[in-house]
Order: sequence, then C-alpha cells, then structure tokens
Amino acid sequence: MSEHAEPQPVPPSSVVLVSGGSRGLGLAIVADLLDRGVRVAAFARTVTPELDKLAAEHPDRLHAGPVDVTDLAAAQAFVRDAEVRLGPIDGLVNNAAIGQDSLHVHTATGDIARIIETNLTAPLQLTRLLVRRMLGQGRRGRIVNITSICAQRGFPGLVAYSATKGGMDAATRSLARELGGRMLVNAVAPGFFASEMSAVLGRTQLDQIVRRTPSGHLTEPAEVVPVVRMLLREQTNINGQVIVVDGAASV
Amino acid sequence: MNELSRAQIRDLMAQVLGNQGKVLPGDDAAELREIGFRSLDFSELALRVEDETGEELNFDAPGLRRIATVGDVLDFLVDLQRQQ
Repeated sequence: MSEHAEPQPVPPSSVVLVSGGSRGLGLAIVADLLDRGVRVAAFARTVTPELDKLAAEHPDRLHAGPVDVTDLAAAQAFVRDAEVRLGPIDGLVNNAAIGQDSLHVHTATGDIARIIETNLTAPLQLTRLLVRRMLGQGRRGRIVNITSICAQRGFPGLVAYSATKGGMDAATRSLARELGGRMLVNAVAPGFFASEMSAVLGRTQLDQIVRRTPSGHLTEPAEVVPVVRMLLREQTNINGQVIVVDGAASV
Repeated sequence: MNELSRAQIRDLMAQVLGNQGKVLPGDDAAELREIGFRSLDFSELALRVEDETGEELNFDAPGLRRIATVGDVLDFLVDLQRQQ
C-alpha cells in the first residue's frame, strides 16, 4: 500500500483538545485558540479559577473539566462529552505533563514510573484515542506535542523527564510518517520558562542559560503560543518536526 | 529503620573526601566550596548511608541548593533518614 500523502491539504483545526489546559502554557494555548474563534475542549487534573473564567466567557466554545491524563477511561468520557457539545475534535495539543526536580540516583522508582506514565504513556494513549476517532470518521486533523529542550540537551535533575520528552519527539516523527499526510503531527519544544518547571534548575543555572541565550531572556509561554497556533491553524507543509522555541540558547 | 548517627555520617563523609586525597575539617561551619565537596560527592555520601542502613534515601534537588557547610550536609542526612 502506498504511504505517500493524499493530495488535499489538512484543513485548520476547528475543535481542539488541550490536555493540561488549566494553567501555564496550556491555559495560554486555550485562551489564544478561543480568541481566534476555535472551539476548545480542555482538561486538567484540577480546573483552575482561570479556566473556569474562560468557560464562563465562552460557554458555547469551551468545554472544560477535571481529568487526570493517566485515567484513560475518564479521558474517553471527556472526549465523547466534548464532541457532543462542540462537534468532532480535529486537533490535539498534548500539553499535560509533570516535572522532576531530583537527581536520577535519588529519584524514587515509583516517581520515575509516574513521570513516564504521565508524560509518555498517557499522551500516546490520548493520541491513539483521538486518531482512532478521526480516522474512523474520515476526518483529517493536526496534533501538536509540547515537549522540551530537555529532549535535545542535557540538564541535571531531569533525567526521567527528559527521557519522556525525547520519547514524544520520536513519536512525533513516526506518527507523522504513519498517518501518511492525513494528519499533521509536530512538536514544539520550549526552552526553560522563568516560572514553573524552571524552579528545578535554580537561579545559577537559569542565569547561565540567560547568558547563553542570544535573545537575552528565558522563554515565555506567550512566545510559544503563536507557534502552536500556526501548527494547528495555518496552511503549512510542516510535518513530523520538532520546533524549538528557546531564543537560540541551545544552538 | 537502622539510622546512622551524625558522627557515623561524618565518618563516611571523611571517607568520601579521603578517597580524593582531601581532608574533612573538624569544624561543621567549614564551607563545602572551600573543601571541594561537590554535589556528586553528596550523592556518593547519601548512597553510602543507604548501603549502611539498607533504606533508599530519595530527595528533591532544590533542598540540596541550600546546603553550604559540612554541618548542613550532616543535618540534611540526619533529617532525611527520619523522614523516610
């Protein structure tokens, strides 16, 4: 059977599922897509007041709820409910993840398993769920995996985390091949944010990264959001790529 | 749990440094930077404590960044044993 792309371009996503959409980059992606008129389904372990506020402002275009991404049955139920309310999902942003802040030798084996389950197994299963629905209904779609510069560069204290992000980068490439042009699959790999995960690195390491960054500052979620939007909405032939957003710190 | 005393941990710390030709000063206020005790030396010491007690000592990195003196190392590991 041919593995070559079908000739029609993949249309912009109009209903997008965002995992981990209640705070930080995930919340910023949700808000941005809503601003552009996209319908959004967003879940997170806890629905924050910020996500609740967006839901109140966009009652017809945002479906939000509490789902632990590792709970596949809950994710399936959420997707079904979201599609009843918003229509068929044709975009996925795998953003939900947990961080790490411990040297590998001092990380409990249970914590390593939890990081892998949340950051690698769960997004692969969520992707499978969504791709099955899209393929089964003859839909085309777009997938954006939020990974990390950790997948490409080494940082102490982030061994298991980096392994999961590298795994998602690799899955991005293989899935883009596997889906034969019917879906566009890409990853966005931010550098360290000044907040959240980057608390792991400590002031000295963050200062070193800033000094090494030609653009002179750590990445902000607002600088990543337009790249995610482009991959979901713009007509491009970008597929199977990992786009690094780190001000050239890693170059 | 079979806990090591502060003095026993101090002995292990002296061994870690001794293997590198360095000497552990008697003063707990001695700065780790001055005596050349690095983060991986701390890991080695923690793993030696684990070997002695038979219990894993798992901990996050941010706590380590506050450790600056010999006394900090000993306090951290004594407390950590009690938390496991």
